[in-house]
Amino acid sequence: MKKDNNNRGARYGMVIDLDKCTGCGACVAACASENNVPVMHDESDKTRSINWLQIYKITNGKEFPDIEIAYIPRPCMQCDNPPCVPVCPATATKRDPNTGIISQIYTRCIGCRYCMAACPYHARSFNWFDPPFPKGTERSLTTEVSPRMRGVVEKCTFCHHRLMSAKQRAYAEGRRELREDEYIPACAEACPVNAITFGDLNNPKHKISQLIKSKNAFRLLEKLGTEPKVYYLSSKEWVRRMADNYLQGEFESRN
Amino acid sequence: MEFSRRNFIKFVAGGAAGTMLSPLPWKLIDDIAIWTQNWSWVPVPAKGRFSTEHTVCTLCPGGCGIEVKKIGERVVKIHGGEGFPVNNGAICPLGAAGQQILYNEGIRWQTPMKRVGSRGSKKWEEISWSRAIEEIASKINSLRDKGTPEKLAAIDGNFSRSTLALLIKRFVNAIGSPNYITTPSEEDTYSMAFQIMQGNKGPVAFDLENADFILSFGCGLLDGWGAPGRMSNAWAYWSADKHAKPYIVQVEPRLSNTASKANMWLAPYPGTESALALGIAHVIIREGLYNKEFAEDYAFGFQNWVDEEEKKHKGFSTIVMEKYTPQAVQKITGIDSKEIINLAKKFATASRPIALAGRGKGILPGSLYDFMSIHSLNALVGRINKKGGVLVPDELPLAQWPDIEYDSVAADSVAKERIDKAGRGQYPFAESLINKFAQAVNDGSSVVETLLIFSSNPAYNTPNNTDFIKALDKIPFIVSFSPFIDETSLFADLILPDHTHLEKMMDTAWPAGLQYPVYTLSRPVIKPLYHTRHSGDVIVSLAKKIGGSVARSFIWDDFEHALKDRVKGLYESGRGEISSNKEVSPWKNLNAAHLSKKTYTSFDSMWEELRGIGCWFEPEHSFGNWSNIFHTKTKKFEFFSTDIDDSLKGYAGKRPVQDILATLGISSSGDEVNMPHYEKKGAKGEREDNGIVFLPFEIINLASGWVGNPPFLNKTLFESQLKRDDIFAEINPKTASQYGLKEGSRITVRSSKGEIRVRVHIFDGARPGIIFVPAGLGHTAYDKYLKGKGANPYTIIDGTEDPLTGQPVWWDTRVEILKI
Amino acid sequence: MDADLKKSDKYGWVFLIAGLIGALIVGWIIFPALLYSKKEQPIHFSHAKHGPDSDAGMSCEDCHFFYEDGSFSGIPKIAKCIECHEDAELPLSDSEEEEKLFTDYIVPNKEIPWLVYSRQPECVYFPHMAHVKMADIECNVCHGEMAKQDSMPVYKVNRLTGYSIDIWGRNIAGLKKNTWDRMKMNDCAECHTEHNKENNNACFVCHK
Repeated sequence: MKKDNNNRGARYGMVIDLDKCTGCGACVAACASENNVPVMHDESDKTRSINWLQIYKITNGKEFPDIEIAYIPRPCMQCDNPPCVPVCPATATKRDPNTGIISQIYTRCIGCRYCMAACPYHARSFNWFDPPFPKGTERSLTTEVSPRMRGVVEKCTFCHHRLMSAKQRAYAEGRRELREDEYIPACAEACPVNAITFGDLNNPKHKISQLIKSKNAFRLLEKLGTEPKVYYLSSKEWVRRMADNYLQGEFESRN
Repeated sequence: MEFSRRNFIKFVAGGAAGTMLSPLPWKLIDDIAIWTQNWSWVPVPAKGRFSTEHTVCTLCPGGCGIEVKKIGERVVKIHGGEGFPVNNGAICPLGAAGQQILYNEGIRWQTPMKRVGSRGSKKWEEISWSRAIEEIASKINSLRDKGTPEKLAAIDGNFSRSTLALLIKRFVNAIGSPNYITTPSEEDTYSMAFQIMQGNKGPVAFDLENADFILSFGCGLLDGWGAPGRMSNAWAYWSADKHAKPYIVQVEPRLSNTASKANMWLAPYPGTESALALGIAHVIIREGLYNKEFAEDYAFGFQNWVDEEEKKHKGFSTIVMEKYTPQAVQKITGIDSKEIINLAKKFATASRPIALAGRGKGILPGSLYDFMSIHSLNALVGRINKKGGVLVPDELPLAQWPDIEYDSVAADSVAKERIDKAGRGQYPFAESLINKFAQAVNDGSSVVETLLIFSSNPAYNTPNNTDFIKALDKIPFIVSFSPFIDETSLFADLILPDHTHLEKMMDTAWPAGLQYPVYTLSRPVIKPLYHTRHSGDVIVSLAKKIGGSVARSFIWDDFEHALKDRVKGLYESGRGEISSNKEVSPWKNLNAAHLSKKTYTSFDSMWEELRGIGCWFEPEHSFGNWSNIFHTKTKKFEFFSTDIDDSLKGYAGKRPVQDILATLGISSSGDEVNMPHYEKKGAKGEREDNGIVFLPFEIINLASGWVGNPPFLNKTLFESQLKRDDIFAEINPKTASQYGLKEGSRITVRSSKGEIRVRVHIFDGARPGIIFVPAGLGHTAYDKYLKGKGANPYTIIDGTEDPLTGQPVWWDTRVEILKI
Repeated sequence: MDADLKKSDKYGWVFLIAGLIGALIVGWIIFPALLYSKKEQPIHFSHAKHGPDSDAGMSCEDCHFFYEDGSFSGIPKIAKCIECHEDAELPLSDSEEEEKLFTDYIVPNKEIPWLVYSRQPECVYFPHMAHVKMADIECNVCHGEMAKQDSMPVYKVNRLTGYSIDIWGRNIAGLKKNTWDRMKMNDCAECHTEHNKENNNACFVCHK
């Protein structure tokens, strides 16, 4: 696969500090509310429910009382080398060269779910049903994100509409350039412990560009070469290892 | 020219050709494609202008400022309030899903309702507000005519010190009933402990942000405890600066979020926290690490002492040295003695340590002796009223309302004994006891004819709610003021729905645990969606309807005027400020002489500002002073409580105190009864001897109080917590294998009070010998997003009552596990 | 038998033409008439009577303005109308439409349920700010000469898609003479491509 890493525009990315993350779920609630994410009657059915941002709980596998836990919030990784894009027969999902964000156009999607099969992060959800909203709560839908219909795939967009409104605000003030804090996704804004940092990876002045240089920085399943733009920080080695699905002796045997 | 088959085909061919030459097929294909993208039933959100309104979230007593984003008149999103003193931009998952509580039709009463079928048949008919108010007024008047207004009781879950709570209490008292009952919380236990040891009942204030060592005995600091927005903010502050970060020790039997983020996690046997605290005290005293100035000059009962009758008493230090050696404590708690010693030294040698008592979110009360034992650690290391310690603040300078005017009926009966027996006799320190209320109604010792229920759901989350539900059955007339179709309201005869939090004005006087004075005011950000009314307004109109002295005690036109009258006190005090400034964290410089940034010149302008910003606060505290903050009999911090001593002597009357201890459920004897100590579990035996222990726990992403969990939060639950309609109990693998349980096994958990069905989640973070079940599910009311999912752990709570406070003990239920 | 066959052969083309013409009539005239339902605007607002050349002498921006956050106000709310049409007793004209404005909307304080000709599908994000302010595109490039219109055109809505006819274009053949004749995706893309804005046609530039 040839990398479609067009760096002319911004490359928006995210750093999630797992040492800070308390797994509270405020990001999930904020995300769902920001993006008109429907709620199933049975949300425990994770193969049917729609989750743009999902939190996973991992443990170090040790016994009481040496066990430790960590939470991994998982938005769309917005890969620079996205496995979901080339498989789409309808060109419904593309890497936006302006932002590096993987777009998903619901009205174009034909619901074949190849992208879901291709995504190693389970970041995509399929609308098996007409998106259900608890009766009355459709009054709180926002106009910034279009509600989906049955039979299409959806996923996190780094709250792309927030970029558009930030641009619109900047234009109103006669600016073309955005300040670092003008565009952040709902999860990053909601995170009550500031565990999520958002910014342009192509801009060395952005805080995120410094953070990813940390020795504690890692990405999920890096070895697959998907080049995710979501980075994690953890001071715990077992967390960093688990992120790459590391198996005992895996790399040794290869040599 | 005949219309033969051949010509017909020609006609059709011509038609086909013509059709292809017309826009019909091409346009139709295009339109059908678009049609499939626009099913008529897919909602199209109404467009409108974007706006943001600032208010305060009142879903919990945390007092977080929120920014409500609206499109036109619709609420679409809730953010944390930037620059708001309490939470500065932080928001919890419940607050972030707040609009679902407003809009979810399936959980809301939309209009006053009167029960028409039998109780529980869920048959209701609409009733007008005026008729509903008339009906209650006539019930109350007939009670008053008979001279028995005490047969009216009210259960109130509004925050303590809030205007609505005071207004309801005033109403109940004004008609002549002493039976104003609040739902119990951790703050109640803290208030009692402070009352006993310090002689003051002021707000609970912990200067956590400035502490460098936090020893938390179970407080879910990151699990929704206290003011969750404030705690998240503190965690963000600590995480961003490693020099600011305190060493956190979490003591609780389950690896909670707090425990997993803490520097040290200790998992003692539940109910032995006091022993652990006193074991730590032992090491501190032994090593001479305690604050000698405080212990000698400002504390009573630390050393041995002699009373007025020349009788010798052992001091706290002596008893602790004798009884709570690390080895002894190891036996009781299961915590290694070396760890206790290590922890004690770390705690005592930290520069600004603090010890906290509590469990989970603090929605439920704790044990008095536990809290006293844990608080004695703060005293030992001299951390009371010090920066980073437990502060002793004054009440907010809110104005008092004029005294209630009692007519002869009311004056007589308001002085009668409360149904729950709180505040005298056996329970001298308790203000209200919902469990004893249920007991008194059930055993027929008290008769309640009318019950008013506000902002609470005791039929769901009172420990051992089955007893409470039985009591409801015996009460002929129940009025629910809940906006939600919750369990309790389904037992009501009349429903007078309140607004939800975004539709009404509410105040929070001192958010739970904050270290400086804060008064927050929420305002409606949206017109009421339904035919609901503010309970405060209903109370005022009810008082006016009843007339006489009751009406004269309610001089206000409505709730807002009553609230405004209190706020005038803030204005007249000349203290504090109303501002939202992101740059300044009020707790950073509490000590510094504060330059007031008052921008208002009259009460009216202050009121406008307060409504706009939602927060009055005063970043001041006089630290260090120990000489006149304790209002006990000895004017000192009391390790030996003269208050308990006097109360017990008073209750015992002519009998020796020793004789009444057993009836009070106290197993210790002598001076220890008046001091922090570990209460051995009496009837149930020690430790694992008697079956597995059942312990409910709380998580921040599952609302477990009065407000039902909003649907968005269902997304945050793991498959190991909820799968379809099954809830999972967390069990240690060792315990699981003893009982032959595997991941996902279905079991029945049975106590003497009942049983629940759950599935097993094997979790190494669970202390062996305990089965942990999350609280917040297992509803039998609300809508399909909540109802019937999981099990309610409170239904099988079978605890004793906590000595002296009478509060329910909910952490000591023994259960059987039966495989299904 | 043979004669019959001949006859049929001879005039067979009539049937063919009949079918053809019939289908053309159906396709070009009946079908479009059936496809769109007509709706009257609640009030026959005259842009001409309000616009720059009228006595009122208002500019487009007086009613169709930007908010501080850069979002576009779109069609004005009733409050805007009340700014001039203050008093039902003192109408500004003797038009029946103004009377309707007062009795039906201003007095009972109801919003006017305008039908929006240029309402884009839900999946489209269109910022006026970027086009009007940053790209300097005049209103009429997309909306036509609205300011000169004395009455509101009939609002036609597609029975299948629910969209205004002005999106697909009023010409059933899809022909376009003016820039404002059609507002389909290709029309947006055409301009985006023309202005050679780098990557201006990425999906998320216009879709939400």
